[in-house]
Amino acid sequence: MKCEQIGELLPDYLQGNLSPEQDNSVEDHLEGCPACSEEVAVWKKLSLLPVEQPSPASRVRFEAMLHAYQAGLTDQAGVGFEREKRSSFWSAFNWLRSPLGALAYGVALLAIGAYVGTQFGTYFGMHTSGSNTHSQELAAMHTELTNMRQLVVLSMLQQQSAGERLQGVTWSRREEQLDPQILSALLHTLRYDGSVDVRLAALDALSRRSRQPQVHKGVADSLQEQQSPLVQVALIDLLLEWRDPDAVQRLQKLQQIPNLNPTVRQRAEWAMSKLN
Amino acid sequence: MLEVRNGAGETLGVLFDRYQRPLYNFYSKLTGDRVLSEDLVQEVFLRILKYRQSYRPGTPFRAWIYQIARNARVDHFRRAPRNVALNPEMLPPVLPGDSAQRGQEAELLHRALMQLPEEKREILILSRFQELKYEEIARLLDCELGTVKTRIHRALQQLRQVFRQLEQGAAAGKANASAAGNIPPQGGLQ
Repeated sequence: MKCEQIGELLPDYLQGNLSPEQDNSVEDHLEGCPACSEEVAVWKKLSLLPVEQPSPASRVRFEAMLHAYQAGLTDQAGVGFEREKRSSFWSAFNWLRSPLGALAYGVALLAIGAYVGTQFGTYFGMHTSGSNTHSQELAAMHTELTNMRQLVVLSMLQQQSAGERLQGVTWSRREEQLDPQILSALLHTLRYDGSVDVRLAALDALSRRSRQPQVHKGVADSLQEQQSPLVQVALIDLLLEWRDPDAVQRLQKLQQIPNLNPTVRQRAEWAMSKLN
Repeated sequence: MLEVRNGAGETLGVLFDRYQRPLYNFYSKLTGDRVLSEDLVQEVFLRILKYRQSYRPGTPFRAWIYQIARNARVDHFRRAPRNVALNPEMLPPVLPGDSAQRGQEAELLHRALMQLPEEKREILILSRFQELKYEEIARLLDCELGTVKTRIHRALQQLRQVFRQLEQGAAAGKANASAAGNIPPQGGLQ
């Protein structure tokens, strides 16, 4: 057989899908053909590449994500998903009973009212300067809505229950632009919130805003103050991911803390070795 | 999987334990970037939660999860263009003899793999490391079974050539090193 014919059989030979006769004819060819047999050898050698282990922090992040999701957070769950939810259509309105729900509901009504108002204004020719004013009004309303939503986030971050604070953090993710007030509230949450879950969620939300210098510095600075190993490990990973210029210095400082959790210490060492 | 589809979040933990490592290895061998690979694995599980209703019962779950994994990677690179660190030519030369023969061979193979065009690298990883059957790969890549086999063969041919070049480069480096005494070899890569 020629190399071309063998080439057709080779992939199946490698996965052991051939009949014994076909196997034999391939092997006969391989004995006399260095090129083809080298291909088989390279395929076999690929087993030298090690199976790599994901870091332990990976599981922690997964758990945090799952918690956040189960707290009813990840909001864009898709439309088709609603109909099979155990809770019915009506229970979707339960959240309106909370003060925050009422606030959000108020915002929505305000928006609808304002929109209808503007539409009517246009319809009856109440303003004559054309569509320009219209779009300006819409833009102003859009800004107002965004402000209101941010207000909702801010108030949620101050709730008593960890679940609601977690929800606040997740709400913040919906916004494309966060104003500095919310960012500093999230940074405050990252440092001082009593619940590890909420701190992890805040870290996750902040990690998406790394381009803002305030965030970058605030997150990196919080490493020294964290007490929970989970958050410490997540922060170390983030510093590594960001290639933070002062990362090595910060990690060295972290390692000077007496009683530092051994896993964290190990992680910091690993990160430093990656950075050097 | 049906349980996840119907909303039991705990089941996702079981899936995480089962698929975290294969997916992580898929990404790390494909991109050569561990931090990114971990992020992408997280993204896959978030997407499983979000899009679980799109899983059709009775269809192979493995194919579905790899479909999500491929999309997550494509979306990631659409958002953030690749950085230059992935360029294999920027890696330091392999110093012959500084690790065991076996370790050095693995390193050369890794580099050879990273020098392949991405589609070729991917198909080799899927068939060799993820242990997907050719039929599964064909479904995943949405092409004919015969095409998968041809592509695997071509990818393997190219891998062999690149690997051989690297091996020769490393051997030349070794010769230079012994000739030049203390001067470290510079010619590890072509």
